[in-house]
Amino acid sequence: LHRTKPRFRTTDLVRMMYDDSLTPAEVLRRWSGADADEDEDASQDEDDDDFFKKADNSGEGESLEDRAVPKYDYDALQEKWSNAENIEALRRRFASADLLKEKRARGGSDYE
Amino acid sequence: MADPRPRLVKFETQRSFALRLVLATLTGKTIRVSNIRPSSTNPGLANYEISFIRLLEAVTNGSAMEISYTGTTIAYKPGLITGCAPGRGASGGVIRHELPEGCPRGLSYFLIPLCLLAPFSKAPINVLFTGPGVITSATPMGDISVDSVRTAILPLYEQFGIFNNIELRILRRSCPGPGGKGGAGEVQLMFGHQVRVPKTIHMMNPGRVKRIRGVAYCVGVSASNNARMIDVARGILNPLVSDTYVFSDVSSAPLIPSATKADPNAKRKLGIGFGLSLVAESSTGAFYSADVASPPEGGVPPEDIGRQCAYQLLETISLGGCVSPAAAQTMLVLMAMGSEDVGRLRVGKKVFATEEIIDLGRDLSQLGASGWGVRDADAEGEDLIVSIVGSGFGNVGRKIA
Repeated sequence: LHRTKPRFRTTDLVRMMYDDSLTPAEVLRRWSGADADEDEDASQDEDDDDFFKKADNSGEGESLEDRAVPKYDYDALQEKWSNAENIEALRRRFASADLLKEKRARGGSDYE
Repeated sequence: MADPRPRLVKFETQRSFALRLVLATLTGKTIRVSNIRPSSTNPGLANYEISFIRLLEAVTNGSAMEISYTGTTIAYKPGLITGCAPGRGASGGVIRHELPEGCPRGLSYFLIPLCLLAPFSKAPINVLFTGPGVITSATPMGDISVDSVRTAILPLYEQFGIFNNIELRILRRSCPGPGGKGGAGEVQLMFGHQVRVPKTIHMMNPGRVKRIRGVAYCVGVSASNNARMIDVARGILNPLVSDTYVFSDVSSAPLIPSATKADPNAKRKLGIGFGLSLVAESSTGAFYSADVASPPEGGVPPEDIGRQCAYQLLETISLGGCVSPAAAQTMLVLMAMGSEDVGRLRVGKKVFATEEIIDLGRDLSQLGASGWGVRDADAEGEDLIVSIVGSGFGNVGRKIA
């Protein structure tokens, strides 16, 4: 049932944004559509040993530290932006792009 | 606000710690932050957070804070933002703020929140950051460099009608020292334009990137590092923007005293490294910034730094909207502090849908500001329009007391 739900819908985000029963991380997870079954698994794990609990420091604390520059995987970025298609898609965000000329050039390359 | 809100606003965890203190000061509400690193091996407030509290204390009058024994809880009752009027801790109108050597955060961690307070201050803000903890470069903890603050954050205030006598002087540069801690740089912030409320803005058009500026800095290493960073970055960016210019700043490493028994006058160098800050400006005045610096442990050639920075800039531009992630909080807070009028801002979906921004929206509504309206910018659905009704608080600190 959850699979059919559309993901990344703005109205969903707005609805959940001020819902204080969800943490911001949960809001984003639900918004992206990766939720429900994961939560159940996690709660079951916790029940197993309720006396000895290991402090969960795996990345949880780190995500609470403020970062102005997100952590990027630079190899993936390089791959993404070495791709000519991605660069061409981004080009319309630049003033240097002559849209007419670009259209013609693209039309030409299609025939090759 | 008509409805009586609880007098004490409660927050949890260390996220957006500095920003929350700033918001409390701007709205004049007492806050309590609990659960600050409760299960960490080094629990409670970190030294840079304490340092920020001291800075806040220096530019305000009558603030009171109480920190619990373990440091995991702090109650903060804001005073009024007096700025740097001579006579109160400010000698000659300048407050000296010294950062201790163990500080792992870049100076932008202190500068960006301080700049948010500055327009609402009574007297101009004039703070000299000094001491062995001032890191002017980008840091591994994700702070942007002071160059990016100067060229990508401060110009944003102009949109809000705040533009006079604002200057950020970089007197001495520094990169993170050994272990990413300490730096011994020196930076002076002058913020001389105080307003009652910032202007309401409507930024709906991101425009097109027309120019890219940047600063390549190297501290205590060969100047050829700069040339190598610039060369690679330009190679990537020039095909897209011909108007690309990267300045090169070479400085020697700062010396700090390290007296030993054998040599009481001994000094050592601290904060050697290099880095690159790139800022793209669009035709409508939107700024996108990227920052990469060499890691403190070294071992990364300048070519890689230049390449990473250029790709990071492309990624930031591709996120869309009128603001880059590093500037989003500044813009949204200034909008929320504006007059009681609807301001609109176009934000990329990926910039908006982050934990920090959702937290900021919640924090603001908890502190009595109105909720945000969010809708799709167009049918493509890549960008959002965030509409914010200003709280009309403005210079609330000046009115109370």
